[in-house]
Formats: sequence, C-alpha cells, structure tokens
Amino acid sequence: MEEFDPARLINRVGTTQDRDAFVELFGHYAPRVKAMMIRRGASPDRADDLAQETLVRLWRKAAQYDPARASASAWVYTIARNVSVDAMRREGRATPWTEEEGVDLDEPERQLLAAEREALVQSTIVSLPEEQLRVIRMSFFDGLPHSQIADLLGLPLGTVKSRIRLALQRLKDRLGGLI
Amino acid sequence: MTSITHHPTDETLAAFASGTLDEARSVVVSMHMSFCPVCNNKARRYEAIGGALLDRTSPAAMKPDALQKVLQLIGTDLQAPAVKPEGLLDHYQLGKWRWVWPGVRQRSISVPVVSNIKVFMLRAEPGIQLPHHKHTGYEWTCVLEGAFEHQFGRYGPGDFDEADETLEHKPTICEGAACVCLVALQGNIEFQSGWGRLIQPLLRL
Repeated sequence: MEEFDPARLINRVGTTQDRDAFVELFGHYAPRVKAMMIRRGASPDRADDLAQETLVRLWRKAAQYDPARASASAWVYTIARNVSVDAMRREGRATPWTEEEGVDLDEPERQLLAAEREALVQSTIVSLPEEQLRVIRMSFFDGLPHSQIADLLGLPLGTVKSRIRLALQRLKDRLGGLI
Repeated sequence: MTSITHHPTDETLAAFASGTLDEARSVVVSMHMSFCPVCNNKARRYEAIGGALLDRTSPAAMKPDALQKVLQLIGTDLQAPAVKPEGLLDHYQLGKWRWVWPGVRQRSISVPVVSNIKVFMLRAEPGIQLPHHKHTGYEWTCVLEGAFEHQFGRYGPGDFDEADETLEHKPTICEGAACVCLVALQGNIEFQSGWGRLIQPLLRL
C-alpha cells in the first residue's frame, strides 16, 4: 500500500489531469474541508457544497501548486479559506459568525481539542498552552475574528491578541522549518 | 530607496491568513503583501498552521453523490485554464478622482461597504499637510507611491500604517512626488480645527 502523498497527487492532477489522483485527494480533503466549513458556521448541506467547490478549485489550480512554497495541506487550507471568504462575501456577511448563529463552543470545542490532542502529541501544536491553542483554533479553523473570540470567551480583546501573539511566536520558533 | 519599514502586526497577518479580516482591510493588507516578501513568508507560516489543523480535524462525511457531482463538474476541463495574472483591484470599480482639499484628491473603490468601512485611494501633492485629525474607527493605509510622514516615522511605497480611534495624527506629504495611498477607513475622520470641521462633510464618500 502506497503511502498517501498529497503533494505528489496534486502534481499528477496538475501535470496530467490524473483523475485517480484526484479521487484520492477528494477522499482525504473533502470531508476535512467540510468539517472546517461547518466550524465556520455553514450548515452541513452548505458545507458539503463548499467542500465540493474547494475540490473543484483544487483541480483547476493544481498546476499552480508549488511544493517548495507550501505543504499540500497548507495549500488546500488556503483554497478552502478563500472559498469560505468568497461565500460569506457573496452573502453579504462581514464575519463568518453572527451571534444568532453562534453555536455553543464550549462542549464541541473541548471534545475536538481532546480528540485532536492525541493526534497532535507528536506535533508541535499541542505543545502550546491550552489557552493559546484554543484561540489559535478559533481563529484559524473556526474563522472567528479576534473581537468575537474575546466575546465568546469573556476575555478582554487585548488578552486574546496577546495569546495569539504568544502562540504564533512559539509556533514560529518550533515550526520554522515546516515551510 | 524603497525599503519597507512599517508592516502589519503579526495578529493582523494571522487574521488575514485565517480569512477573518473584513474585505476592506484584506484589500489593504493584500496590497502591502504585494510589496513585502517578509509578510508573505509570515502569512505562509500561518497558512501552514491552518494546513496542520485541517489534516488533523475529524472528517465530516460527504454526501454519497458528492464525488460524482465534482467529477462531472471537472469532466469538461481537459486542461487547467491558463492563469491570467490579475491585479489586486481588478474586481472593483475605481471612481473618478475628486477634489477634497487643496492638493488632495480621492477616488472611491467599490469594495462593498460593510460595518461603515470604506476603501478609497488618496492622492496628495508634495509638501501638503493634512489637517490634524482623528478617527471614529480604524484607518489602515498602504502607500503606493511617494511618501508621508507623521509622529511614527516616514511611510514610503509598500509601507503599512494601522491607526485606530485612539490616535490623532497630522501627516505631512514628503517632498518629491505626489503620495498615493490605499486606505480602508471605518467611521469618519474628525478634524481637530475649526477650518477642518468646515470641510468635513466634503470628505464623506
């Protein structure tokens, strides 16, 4: 069994429009992008559509992917992020989340962090203090603006910003070689 | 000499990389990024964090027909479309240059106004001193040509200036060429002098 090597698969899509490679990429990324879209406030149906749109864009942009610039997942993340931002702008929303739509972050957040903690043991992200990981996650994955993270956690905006700054500094120190 | 000395904060770049900045501010940050390899590298590092989180998230099962639909959609694409380099402001309409103040002109940019944030270009002749003012919200600026100066230093092409409502300032355009800036402004500008207050209504877009 060949190991999943997304950068090579993207390259095959980009150079020879290899549909088998694309199906493999779809299998890995579409459900994860869907999860990300749900975290960003999309309904499951909408999230499915946005994940499809992300994979279509991946197909169309595959030739532009440069593995020297970004890991495959970082590249897919930027496409998904742009799809989510474009969708919100089409719908005339300033931010991904409104208070009415806000879900209770507490419980799912804790579970996600717990589930991820295992997977992240070997990774540097888990080395962050939980309070920092939480704000990083809410910002990068859930797509919440800093002001809203402050509201949801009942913290002053300055505290949220300084946690993000500390976390980024730490990630920068440890993940410097990642890209 | 066009070395960039004023950058967005790390928090701003992180917000940009995570897609949580509003469109108006994203446009100004993108403009800075088009000048600045340092900030591009930082943003890429933050995107790598997003990629790591994406890899490790629990998947949400796609609908059974999703793959089929996507394969149909891409079925007609034999070749990836040629990439046409596009300008940052290509998606928007630029208004006409309008007079706002002696030696100062402004043109609107059709970024949709959300939360009272407007995006425009400002062009000021060398030596002009903008009236002493403060803001009711933030004002983010990226210099495109020329330079201005205020109490925090000199801002030339590519430099980025984040001002918020706590700041009062009085920028002066440096000698040489006219200074053209891209600005995202939330709320309004409040002049601190009587003369400025007289023309205040003119500055509203």
